Amino acid sequence: MIKKFDKKDEESGSGSNPFQHLEKSAVLQEARIFNETPINPRRCLHILTKIIYLLNQGEHFGTTEATEAFFAMTRLFQSNDQTLRRMCYLTIKEMANISEDVIIVTSSLTKDMTGKEDVYRGPAIRALCRITDTTMLQAIERYMKQAIVDKVPSVSSSALVSSLHMVKMSYDVVKRWVNEAQEAASSDNIMVQYHALGLLYHLRKNDRLAVSKMLNKFTKSGLKSPFAYCMLIRIASKLLEETEGGHDSPLFDFIESCLRNKNEMVVYEAASAIVHMPNCTARELAPAVSVLQLFCSSPKAALRYAAVRTLNKVAMKHPSAVTACNLDLENLITDSNRSIATLAITTLLKTGSESSVDRLMKQISSFVSEISDEFKVVVVQAISALCQKYPRKHSVMMNFLSNMLRDDGGFEYKRAIVDCIISIIEENPESKETGLAHLCEFIEDCEHTVLATKILHLLGKEGPRTPSPSKYIRFIFNRVVLESEAVRAAAVSALAKFGAQNDDLLPSVLVLMQRCMMDSDDEVRDRATFYMNVLQQKQKALNAAYIFNGLSVSIPGLEKSLHQYTLEPSEKPFDMKTVPLATTPITEQKTEIAPVATSKLPEKLAPSRQDIYQEQLASIPEFQGLGPLFKSSEPVQLTEAETEYVVRCIKHTFTRHMVFQFDCTNTLNDQLLQKVVVQMEPSEAYEVLHYIPAPSLPYSQPGSCYSLVRLPDDDPTAVSCTFSCTMKYLVRDCDPNTGEPDDDGYDDEYVLEDLEVTVADHIQKVLKPNFSAAWEEVGDDFEKEETFALASVRTLDEAVGNIISFLGMQPCERSDKVPENKNSHVLFLAGVFRGGNDVLVRARLALGDGVTMQVTVRSGDETAVDVILASVG
Amino acid sequence: MGLLDKLSGWLGLRKKEVNILCLGLDNSGKTTIINQLKPANTQAQEIVPTIGFNIEKFKSSSLSFTVFDMSGQSRYRNLWEHYYKESQAIIFVIDSGDKLRMVVAKEELDTLLSHQDIRSRRMPVLFFANKTDLQDAMSSVKVSQLLCLENIKDKPWHICASNAIKGEGLQEGVDWLQGRLSFIYGGLFAYTYTLI
Repeated sequence: MIKKFDKKDEESGSGSNPFQHLEKSAVLQEARIFNETPINPRRCLHILTKIIYLLNQGEHFGTTEATEAFFAMTRLFQSNDQTLRRMCYLTIKEMANISEDVIIVTSSLTKDMTGKEDVYRGPAIRALCRITDTTMLQAIERYMKQAIVDKVPSVSSSALVSSLHMVKMSYDVVKRWVNEAQEAASSDNIMVQYHALGLLYHLRKNDRLAVSKMLNKFTKSGLKSPFAYCMLIRIASKLLEETEGGHDSPLFDFIESCLRNKNEMVVYEAASAIVHMPNCTARELAPAVSVLQLFCSSPKAALRYAAVRTLNKVAMKHPSAVTACNLDLENLITDSNRSIATLAITTLLKTGSESSVDRLMKQISSFVSEISDEFKVVVVQAISALCQKYPRKHSVMMNFLSNMLRDDGGFEYKRAIVDCIISIIEENPESKETGLAHLCEFIEDCEHTVLATKILHLLGKEGPRTPSPSKYIRFIFNRVVLESEAVRAAAVSALAKFGAQNDDLLPSVLVLMQRCMMDSDDEVRDRATFYMNVLQQKQKALNAAYIFNGLSVSIPGLEKSLHQYTLEPSEKPFDMKTVPLATTPITEQKTEIAPVATSKLPEKLAPSRQDIYQEQLASIPEFQGLGPLFKSSEPVQLTEAETEYVVRCIKHTFTRHMVFQFDCTNTLNDQLLQKVVVQMEPSEAYEVLHYIPAPSLPYSQPGSCYSLVRLPDDDPTAVSCTFSCTMKYLVRDCDPNTGEPDDDGYDDEYVLEDLEVTVADHIQKVLKPNFSAAWEEVGDDFEKEETFALASVRTLDEAVGNIISFLGMQPCERSDKVPENKNSHVLFLAGVFRGGNDVLVRARLALGDGVTMQVTVRSGDETAVDVILASVG
Repeated sequence: MGLLDKLSGWLGLRKKEVNILCLGLDNSGKTTIINQLKPANTQAQEIVPTIGFNIEKFKSSSLSFTVFDMSGQSRYRNLWEHYYKESQAIIFVIDSGDKLRMVVAKEELDTLLSHQDIRSRRMPVLFFANKTDLQDAMSSVKVSQLLCLENIKDKPWHICASNAIKGEGLQEGVDWLQGRLSFIYGGLFAYTYTLI
């Protein structure tokens, strides 16, 4: 019947989609015919379709209008038209969250779900569960229990799946239905069995023992449903992962036995589970891979796809195992299904030798235009991984990438390519010029603002240091003329960097800046004016501070400080040093197969970890007047993982004080701890000022106590200190079941591990994108230099790693990566010393018998220099 | 509706459909009454408190009734009004054994009758003084006094004593309702038809 309507609409010329130009208000107006008697099912059906279409298009319905439409719809329950009734169920589910008083249909749905009409029962259960909340659930509990064990599979499945949804909301009620679910799990219907198993698992998933019992039972008794088998395999592999048990456990045997199942789905699931297991030995892997290998030559495309996709994923982890399938993968290169062919080639690229790269690249470029974006991204990822493996191949790759960049493609795809080119540029200095040239060409015609600004930023950073910087100016200035505001602003910043770095370009840049000052956009004009004035001063220090290395403070912190400053007017000018520094996000070292495309843009405005601590500490009265929080360390464990009490410490550094935050967890369910304090005995001239106890520490609820320590004033170079820590508290025994404590308790103490304060706690990491400019800016007023011999270190890599972790400073200019086969290296480190002075370290390393290190330290403050040299020595 | 339909409706050949609201406090017996009126083969065996509403259908000699059997629990009573506009008559059920909540019933009735969708319409209201089998049940006269039914001037109304479990008194009420509705909607012809 619907079809007929569609046809009519098509004829009236509304194009391929009859619902394209629906107006919400018009549809709601039409919905009034729901109130007419007698009901015209055909028309009502059509209007409900329109409403659901609008809802699914994301149209916003106000509560009042939604409620009105909903109540009108409830009248349709008087019709016995089957299609209309089922459409009502759909509407109820769609509107469950936007209309008020949806529980009005509870009785009507209950009637349908217990009625004789089987086509109504399943959908009625699903709709009912959507409108039911915890308080109402009790009322329908009886019906749900009956429905779970119903003879009709669709009813039983609906009830089970709906229960699964309700577990999130009212776990305790649904838990009472376990017996019914158990009964359903022995059903003959494959879907019912699968859904029942799902519900049982989710009811027990927090109880590892119960899960393993359940697994035991089902693996012994066997199941009928292949879906349920797949689920069991997933549960088993999750359990294996959690328990970190050896692979000789019965669970692993079960998964392995599934490799011999009759059903291909189960076999694949088992193989995939084994392949994805961490620390899998080659012997355990072999049967799984051989199954996948068999699938590679299956006549079914889905199986071939599944197999090659799994192999592709694990190619880097277990290259030797995958290499065994190379012959089968070679056959798949010419597969008529392009997705399979792409995955096969990228897998081969990951595992193959350097010599085969050219051949494979040629093969893939023959059909790259025919595959979807998603797979193109996979190709780009493979290329990116390949570049890291075979840096010498970068010219082949770069050519290929630039060709891909010219083709059509979506944002994700383009971003993957750009990220890949950027990472190649960073890895191989010799590829920089070609890479930048390709990117310049790309931004000439780039519709993605994000990518254009990213590339402009990169040009500003890298361009001035190339042999002929002038050729980039044209590309950048073209953007100022042609693009949107955001891109124009980024282009202005990039131009400024050229002007600051290259004296011979400065006059031309100034002329261009002058033109930018006429821009129609505020941000662009502001930037141009600012840079213009800075550049005209022609001072290296200014350039370094304001053009190369921007603000290093945390933006939310700056906002808060400025707000505070405007609230309390004072004579003193605003001091940037009082603003907490931005913590450099802990960038994970790019692993070998860094998935370039998945690297998300950092969420800029989310407050950092440190901002959260700052807020927490500021709310404690004793810690007011300490000034801004300078640095918070990573948590340090002061106990073993499996002890009675788990304590970890976070060190917060302030200008003259330190606050130690002890996060304690009581893992004994028969004890309540009160007045918990960690007593600290310093080894140096540190003075403990205050202890702030945690008032009470019930079972498994973490609590924090604090200690405030003053740093020694008279000897500013005494930065390291060892504290011996003891936790003291009042114990009250309590009933493990109720948590009701006894009336009286007794004092007790618990010795913790020693806590070290090192130089790294006094230095905050700051990234200086242009280290040499920063080096000049700080100047050599307090420069000191010393040479050390690191006897115990054998390689440059090791030495670099040690220095970075010891000083806790940020490596700049990618100097933390030591090129291969070199026996000397220069490491640049930047940081801010407690109190707000920049500290820069240049360490020249030479590899001889051990490693010899010449350290040069610069800072605006002599103490900082001394502290660093003293601590290194 | 086509001319033929109209004609057959006029001649009483096809039964005219009417929408009825069944209201009243919780536990007054609304669902039980409606259940009794349904054809014997579709009657439910057990009656549970209604949440929201149920739609039921039954036929009398000349009319086909579609009844919206509303939930009487206090927190759902404010949902009644969504269904006022499209109903042609109201059945109001009172538990005649529940003296204590008679005032509550009166209050709900007054709110109902003064609602803007009801106030100006001459829609028939049928009262069932239900549960007459109870020992301390009041008579229908007493109930109508307590509810001040004599003050209802602008609507035809009628009160019946009933025992929904046995089905006593229900037919009398439905016959009255049919008479009034036929009078209003079916025209004189159908009215006389029912009289014969």
